[in-house]
Amino acid sequence: MSKCSGDKQVKAKNCDPCSPPSVDCCSSAVTTEQNDSPTLWFENMIDNCYDYAIDAKSNSRPIVGIMCEYAPRELIMAAGGVPVCLCGGSAKTIPAAEDYLPANLCPLIKSTFGYHITKTNPFLEMADLVVAETTCDGKKKMFELMAETKAVHLMELPQKQDDSEAFEHWVTEIHKLKAELETRFDVQITPEKIREASRIMNRERNLRRGLAGLMKADAPPLTGRQLLNFKSIISGIPTDLEKYEEAAEILRSHSRNGDMSSRVRVLLTGVPVVHGAERVVDIIEESGGLIVCMENCTGLKPILEDVDLNAADPIRALAKKYFHIHCAVMTRNTRRIDYLRALTAEYRAECVIDLVWQACVTYDIESYQVRRLAEQELHVPYLRIETDYSPSDSARIAVRVEALFETLRSSYRTGQPCRK
Amino acid sequence: MNTTQHITAGIDIGSLSTDAVILRGEQIIAYNVVPTLSSSESAASLAYDSALESAGLAHADVSNVVATGYGRTSTSLAGKAVTEITCHAVGARRLFPQAMTVIDIGGQDSKVIRLSDDGRVEDFAMNDKCAAGTGRFLEVMARALDTDLKSLGHLATLATQDIRISSTCTVFAESEVVALVAKGVPKENIIRGLHRSIAERIYGMVVRLRAGAPFVMTGGVAKNSGVVTAIEERLGTKVLLPEEPQIVGALGAAIIAAKHEH
Repeated sequence: MSKCSGDKQVKAKNCDPCSPPSVDCCSSAVTTEQNDSPTLWFENMIDNCYDYAIDAKSNSRPIVGIMCEYAPRELIMAAGGVPVCLCGGSAKTIPAAEDYLPANLCPLIKSTFGYHITKTNPFLEMADLVVAETTCDGKKKMFELMAETKAVHLMELPQKQDDSEAFEHWVTEIHKLKAELETRFDVQITPEKIREASRIMNRERNLRRGLAGLMKADAPPLTGRQLLNFKSIISGIPTDLEKYEEAAEILRSHSRNGDMSSRVRVLLTGVPVVHGAERVVDIIEESGGLIVCMENCTGLKPILEDVDLNAADPIRALAKKYFHIHCAVMTRNTRRIDYLRALTAEYRAECVIDLVWQACVTYDIESYQVRRLAEQELHVPYLRIETDYSPSDSARIAVRVEALFETLRSSYRTGQPCRK
Repeated sequence: MNTTQHITAGIDIGSLSTDAVILRGEQIIAYNVVPTLSSSESAASLAYDSALESAGLAHADVSNVVATGYGRTSTSLAGKAVTEITCHAVGARRLFPQAMTVIDIGGQDSKVIRLSDDGRVEDFAMNDKCAAGTGRFLEVMARALDTDLKSLGHLATLATQDIRISSTCTVFAESEVVALVAKGVPKENIIRGLHRSIAERIYGMVVRLRAGAPFVMTGGVAKNSGVVTAIEERLGTKVLLPEEPQIVGALGAAIIAAKHEH
């Protein structure tokens, strides 16, 4: 890795998610112990990814932006490309986006597009292609605008998950992406290359599942926020995978943290919590909660299933894995309900918190079914939080979260200590 | 545990007002309501100290203090912070043991809290990002109508016609009110329309929570008889009103302080 990656942790901690690393990154001293810690490694995640992308670019590897978990990363990797997640998590770029997009649109879409307009996401700027999907209407129409000034390949995502013709259409769309990547980057994507990329991605998913599984413990060795920090915006970085293994080893041997067992175990579902937009996660965990399971696109949702390495047709194997992702754009999205049922039991969640980005119509409507599942079938309290990237409602969200925890600990044990 | 000798206090630091209640055992011996203004810390001190003073007590006499409300974690006076949702539930149940639902409309929040038979919070609904249908909403509307906040309740009784204010968003409703004024709609009718729009919002939360009677109304807006009437009409039942609806949160906090003093 880059020789200066280790000493960026100080500034990386609160850095703008997509700002490039500052040039003086080699100026301060660094100790090897810090370099070895997986936690510190992922605190530098954006910087690490930046170094990796710059390095890849200089070796003529294409950078391919993705904005959704439906984008089959394996195909991009099989084309020699680097798949980078471009989802925006910053409120700062939203005003610029609103010159083009309606104000009443999901903050993730606006933030992402705002980065494009202000040219402030270095990963988007260096991307040779953006792979887009017809998921929600907001993204679909935003991609049209982005395509005016950026190379965008749109995949049409069918939305009837249990319909065999819909699946065949998705297979066709993956073939079209393969053809696009081969032509654009002048490469041959062989079945063996896809299998190799699938092997890497399966390993990454398996390692991340293993880390997530540590949260099943009575007193987990890490917080939900710490687990979230292990998510990288670039998949398949060899050092990341090594650090995952290291982290699992270190965390498994951690002594039980008593504080963790007294916290309220929360299953967080709903919209993705992309880098920079972790405010609600922090509010939950600062209010006495512990997010033991994150059932969303930045948590378990996209890593629950692997790609079948033994399938005769690796393209169909890819199509199958990705088509199963239970996003609220699917209809009917019964897989989400089934997974929520299983995960609530597996992680022994005491309540379900459903995060909805403002104007995210599909998750907003689906919250009705999630509430029904939680309250009427699982008999755990349900709290829906609808918000955007601006912190103006943080105090109000905290009231609701703390009150939820108070109802669960009716002896008011979760009362927050006052400022001394 | 015998708490009758103990003095405890609750301080509810809201966005518009800060309220303190002093209990001896289960009896309210003093209370005070002050505007929060720019500092929740000093408002808490002011409300608490003058309540203590009127009871002839000093800080040292109080065995436990619980803070609640928007500023609950920003005071060093209290040993613990509990949310206003729990405190309003506890306070309302103490005043009305039969209560099953609490409707609390404060300065910038409106909440509906459903209670279990034994008085615990079972579920609650609360406005999300905006001040629609809250004390602040009425303040803005009173200003737009060039009327004193306190006279809204009386003026609403003089309405001659039911009109519908379709926006509950403070900003949109204000423009709607300005447009109605320009059309020559009597102020009284507009005020009644505003009260009905608040009632409609509360009714929506009640339905969503499947909450039922008896209802108790707490928070500063419960002092506006026009809103109370509109809510009663919409719910089709009378609501129970505390003598001093603003101090219910602080009362709940003081009761929790009494249960958990050490």
